[in-house]
Amino acid sequence: MRIESHPILEFKRGNALKFIFDGQEMVGYEGETIAAALHANGVKILSHSLKEGRPRGFYCAIGNCSSCLMKVNGTPNVRVCTEPLKDGMVVETQHGKGVIK
Amino acid sequence: MKSSAEIVIIGAGISGLATAYNLAVRGMKDIVVIEKGYITSGSTGRCGAGVRQQWGTEMNCRLSKASCEILENLEEILDYKRSIEFKQGGYLLFATTEKEVEQFEKNVTLQNSLGINSSMLSIDEALEIVPDMNTEGVMAFAFHQKDGHANPFHTTFAYAEAARRLGVEINTYTTVTGIKVENGRIESVITDKGEIKTHRILNAAGGFAKDIGRMVGVELPLKPERHEILVTEPVEPILGPMLMSFSWNFYIQQEPNGTFIMGYGEPNNPESQKIDSSWHFAQEMARKAIGVYPPLSRVRVVRQWAGLYMMTPDSQPIYGSIPGVDGFYIAAGFSGHGFMFGPITGVLMAEYILGEEPEIPINMLDVGRFERGELIYEPSVV
Repeated sequence: MRIESHPILEFKRGNALKFIFDGQEMVGYEGETIAAALHANGVKILSHSLKEGRPRGFYCAIGNCSSCLMKVNGTPNVRVCTEPLKDGMVVETQHGKGVIK
Repeated sequence: MKSSAEIVIIGAGISGLATAYNLAVRGMKDIVVIEKGYITSGSTGRCGAGVRQQWGTEMNCRLSKASCEILENLEEILDYKRSIEFKQGGYLLFATTEKEVEQFEKNVTLQNSLGINSSMLSIDEALEIVPDMNTEGVMAFAFHQKDGHANPFHTTFAYAEAARRLGVEINTYTTVTGIKVENGRIESVITDKGEIKTHRILNAAGGFAKDIGRMVGVELPLKPERHEILVTEPVEPILGPMLMSFSWNFYIQQEPNGTFIMGYGEPNNPESQKIDSSWHFAQEMARKAIGVYPPLSRVRVVRQWAGLYMMTPDSQPIYGSIPGVDGFYIAAGFSGHGFMFGPITGVLMAEYILGEEPEIPINMLDVGRFERGELIYEPSVV
């Protein structure tokens, strides 16, 4: 899934980081966003539309479209496409609009 | 566009359209509404859209109670197939000084005498309704469950659609540029799209009502002010009532769709028809909101905007006609409460224009009260 070599650009891969997605341990790399790490791990569904419950995937990738709102370390509505991955992060699929408490 | 009309209503906000509908339903023909933007483009579509009955004057209590009762049944009355999203989550008012506690106790007594079942709440009682609130510095609360919020767009569209079905002509993107008066009588309204012969005009122009008054040579005691609002991203419902403080100057409410709408009034707000947004407001509003309701620190602001309050010297609307200009009616100067009064404004103004006895006497809200010195100060305004 990750680009290993590119004819023009050089990709420096950071250190491997462990994180949890919906109870499952996964590995990503420093310098990646949460969404990039999820994508590389085969997670294509990031959220569901509010009215019809249709699956929503990686879309704008610049923090605009709200297609990737997830719960990260207990915080709802995190735009995982722009949020950097950190070691030990707990990422969960968010159901509904997010509960703030 | 029609070239003559029984009445020309200037402004397609809630006041103008509710009056148009109520006139049409009472049998008036040839009603023309002129709107320089789109329906709800002025103060109506920019307002906080709160609806409350907790007022400090008998007149405001009666107007808002009657308005609320119409809103409760509005979809049925207007045969509107969608929802106006009327949510009666209550208004929780913060009393932060001895004086304010006294004022609220007085208000509650008045409200109860008029059939509004508001009550004073202790801090603990209020925390049962809103557990996550910060009550530091609050002495008591006033609460009324039937207060709430309606969608200003749907509510106004409901009136617009019902009015159109009854033959009312609504001309959007049409600007009134002048009014012809001959021998003290209205003769026609001139717009950028043509002239409409009429002997009656209703000035329901919201933040521009003063400009319309000047077209017939009348200087109305009105002052437009910019008021700002912001809205957050939606989250699951956690806040039932509107939180509001007059002394701390804010209102915060969660809409049925989960977003929070909030605003406050700038002290010493200058006269202005500007509706730009300020950085200062966003910062100050966020500070106030997080202070009284800490869960808001975890939601993001998605948008802010501004609209006009049309203030009168006593923060009460002007209803009636203008002496000396035959056929010139006015429903303006709502001082930030035009939306919630809208449904009853329509009924009262229609009755008044048709020469009937309005179901709530509005003669004391005429424009002449300012010259007579009979102002009715409303103590409870944000």
